[in-house]
Amino acid sequence: MMLFAALASIVLGAMGKDTNRERLLYGAWVFAEFVVIGLVLGWVLYFIPW
Amino acid sequence: MVKTERMVAARSDGAPGRAWLVGLAAWFIPGLGHLMVSRWGRALLMGGAVWLCFFLGMAMGGRLNALASTDPWSGFLVSLFPVIGNFGAGALYIVSWLLDYGFAEDVEQAARVTFEYGYIFLILAGLLNYLNMLDAFDIAAGRKS
Repeated sequence: MMLFAALASIVLGAMGKDTNRERLLYGAWVFAEFVVIGLVLGWVLYFIPW
Repeated sequence: MVKTERMVAARSDGAPGRAWLVGLAAWFIPGLGHLMVSRWGRALLMGGAVWLCFFLGMAMGGRLNALASTDPWSGFLVSLFPVIGNFGAGALYIVSWLLDYGFAEDVEQAARVTFEYGYIFLILAGLLNYLNMLDAFDIAAGRKS
């Protein structure tokens, strides 16, 4: 999941904004979103019995 | 010219033929499109991410999809979207298809713990390369700096 998030956020961050600083921040934000949403979904699905 | 003016000018002029060539090259060899427009850093980062994603997917035992199936109608529908994803990897997909590598429906391979991860990584590689392609096309067309 971390690898998935890292690779996707590299591409999305690199093409997303205008300056390098903005790209870095955007890439880090997308990475964090992938990881947090992945963990939340993982726990939600863990408690669903089917 | 400010950025919005550049974008309007580029839109009204239409994309030059070279932009289509760059887009095609970006799809065929991940990273090549950005190399053609001299964006070395983007080529390394964005193209490298696609190559890494594809080979990680293969190493995890993922399977590539093909439209051919034993059940033509349902097989076609089920495999269409994964094939579109896989096909985005360009030459990586085509060479694998020509070598018939990664397409086998092997039970032992499917039983691997990392099989599903690999499957998703192979689709992700293609989808990320579509983004690379659009980015390289926009740069070549002057719509993006």
